[in-house]
Amino acid sequence: MGAYSTRDSSYGGTSPMALYSYLTLTGLGLVGLYMLLTGSGEQFNVGEFIMSISPHQWSLMGIALCVGLSVAGAAWGIFITGASLVGAGVHAPRIVTKNLISIIFCEVVAIYGLIMAIVFSAKLKDVQDATITSSEMYYKGFALFWAGLTTGLCNLVCGVSVGITGSSAALADAQDGQLFVKVLVIEIFGSIVGLFGLIVGLLVSGKVA
Amino acid sequence: MEALFFNADDGYIEAIVRGYRSSILNNTSYINLTQCETLEDVKLQLAASDYGTLLQNESHLSTSMLAQKCLDKLVQEFEYIRAHAVAPLSQFLDYMTYAYMIDNVILLITGTLHERDTHELLDRCHPLGVFDSMPALCVATNVAELYNSVLVETPLAPYFKDCLSAEDLDEMNIEIIRNTLYKAYLEDFYYFSQSFGGPTAEIMSELLQFEADRRSLNITINSFGTELTKDDRAKLFPSIGRLYPEGNLKLAKSDDIDQVKATCDVFLEYRQFFDGSSSTGASKTLEDRFFEYEVHLNKKSFQQQFHYALFYSFLKLKEQEIRNIVWISECISQGQKERINNYIPIF
Amino acid sequence: MSGTSNRLAVFPTRMTLSVMKQKLKGAQTGHSLLKRKSEALTKRFRDIVKKIDDAKRLMGKVMQVASFSLAEVTYITGDIGYQVQESVKNAQFRVRAKQENVSGVMLPAFESYQEGTNANELTGLGRGGQQVQRCKETYIKAVETLVELASLQTAFVILDEVIKLTNRRVNAIEHIIIPRYENTIKFILSELDEQDREEFFRLKKVQGKKKEAAARDTLERESRQAAEGKKVREGGATESVNPSLPQPSDLLGGDDEDVIF
Repeated sequence: MGAYSTRDSSYGGTSPMALYSYLTLTGLGLVGLYMLLTGSGEQFNVGEFIMSISPHQWSLMGIALCVGLSVAGAAWGIFITGASLVGAGVHAPRIVTKNLISIIFCEVVAIYGLIMAIVFSAKLKDVQDATITSSEMYYKGFALFWAGLTTGLCNLVCGVSVGITGSSAALADAQDGQLFVKVLVIEIFGSIVGLFGLIVGLLVSGKVA
Repeated sequence: MEALFFNADDGYIEAIVRGYRSSILNNTSYINLTQCETLEDVKLQLAASDYGTLLQNESHLSTSMLAQKCLDKLVQEFEYIRAHAVAPLSQFLDYMTYAYMIDNVILLITGTLHERDTHELLDRCHPLGVFDSMPALCVATNVAELYNSVLVETPLAPYFKDCLSAEDLDEMNIEIIRNTLYKAYLEDFYYFSQSFGGPTAEIMSELLQFEADRRSLNITINSFGTELTKDDRAKLFPSIGRLYPEGNLKLAKSDDIDQVKATCDVFLEYRQFFDGSSSTGASKTLEDRFFEYEVHLNKKSFQQQFHYALFYSFLKLKEQEIRNIVWISECISQGQKERINNYIPIF
Repeated sequence: MSGTSNRLAVFPTRMTLSVMKQKLKGAQTGHSLLKRKSEALTKRFRDIVKKIDDAKRLMGKVMQVASFSLAEVTYITGDIGYQVQESVKNAQFRVRAKQENVSGVMLPAFESYQEGTNANELTGLGRGGQQVQRCKETYIKAVETLVELASLQTAFVILDEVIKLTNRRVNAIEHIIIPRYENTIKFILSELDEQDREEFFRLKKVQGKKKEAAARDTLERESRQAAEGKKVREGGATESVNPSLPQPSDLLGGDDEDVIF
């Protein structure tokens, strides 16, 4: 309780998020300036940094991002849909079974990520020290990394979008049963977005021997 | 962005409210209700709706009992929502109850001013505006004491502190006190809802602006020919409405309904209130039009998801529904069927 | 005897007769006056009954409108009962009673008037003020009708009482008092007649007796003369007759004078 005082604090000013990003930016800026002004600016070499990381690291990171982001997306979607579904189900119990399909759509997104992760991990091989720095190996590492990231991000947003649509579908269905199919069509379109990521990921990683 | 995180805390309760909303009587039910000949018929018709179980055990029917029962149900639903709400939403819901709290505190002030036993008044308070420490207010025997306990015990303290002093309570007309508090409350609620940003801010601003403008217009029209001076009148206008600041200034100077009309002419939505309605008589009064527009706005807030304005709208729509039911049953019990259609259909 | 209950216990004398006659006359005048009064009252009564009927019908309508306007107020502002009740310090609507004279009957008439300021003019300032004011006006109208009805109703009750009373009086005069006086008069007259007849008869009787006595006297005188004539011849026979004769004539003579005067 307690009234929201209009006079004591200003509105829409600095939220904690903005404060953190300001702090980080200033910190980075200070470090950068320090390096630049002390003549050690060359140490700040992105290309060299990237090349210094092992291709295996890149591949495994790709796999981790792929399945991790996908699962995060799916989970996010499920909780968005789930919360609304449970609430709407209180007054209209009939919708619950029907709307499990929205949950399944979200779940599918996680499965995409899982499939991709399996496909990627099949391409991992133990290699000799001599060939690890070869360009094929770098290509493989980068390809798996970016394919994984693509799939993961696509699946993340797909999961969220399916989740939001699914929640709307549940609410709409609770109000009017006829709306369910219509909103479901939109939801299907949303879930196709994840497939795009899957396809691109497959194509990119397909080039890897 | 609010779609991403909204449901984590409030998705369930939002869906529940939407569930409650679907139990609001629709047009067909209203048409059926208006066909009723006796209150017994009304009861039968309502039995098919959400109110059914509520009236089952009542043998003796009266309009006031009906209103009481409906209100009880609304309060029960609101308490349920309130119990499930977490942080920002719970505060938002508390804000909604402040309006009723103001009414209750005003009631207690009235009682104290006339040296009545304020404990009896507790039953007459609006149940939505009841707060835990309310009985503590009844201990006060004079206005100054009451003022202090209001400051200590109630969430309304800031409004009292900023707008009134203990002497004011003694001297000012109770209606002016009420409206002063309400103005402060509306402004505070407005800024609070704006702090959420996103659709909540957007929809709440529309709703609260209308509420503010409605109050300004009402105060202006109702103060014609009364002892309320123009300066005092201007002090009661909330400063958040669409009429603010220019319209409010004009309203403060108005002497008759035509000037009010001219002020509102600038706003497309408000112009219709005065079209063809001389505020007195006619089939649709100004108040009816206000209610209609309010219902329209509140209905619109259900078109969006992931925002808090929905809870506010639900409460307002439900209140309108209770008014409608009471109106219809009043018409039936008094045999004034020709005006039975003056209710405001919701869905 | 039935006659005694229906007449006054008076001595039947000429004096009482004239008194009775006066009383009868008075009773008749009173009767006609009271009758007229009762008619006037009845007329008034009928008027009032008609007015009450109208007022009651009007009242029904006005009350309906009023309670409906209250419903309107509740629709818009919710329950404002307590606030309205408490904000009133002085009665704005007052009633004063005055008296009206109808054929000698004082009828109270109530008159309503408004005084002081409108204590509730700011009620519902933020919402529904117009409805509140309209409701107030309709209720004032309703109370006006109520006051009118109340004054009519009081007049009705009082008039009813008075008419009953007057009618009772009229009837009492018509059916009890006047017949009683008439009976008394009749009784007195008949008694007087009776006395007259008795007197006449007695006089006749007295006359008869006197004549008889006179005849006897003459007879006696003749016989005395005859006896004297005989005495001359026989002597003392007249002495024994003489004492008996003067005695009755003395008694009658005394009686006569008493009765006549």
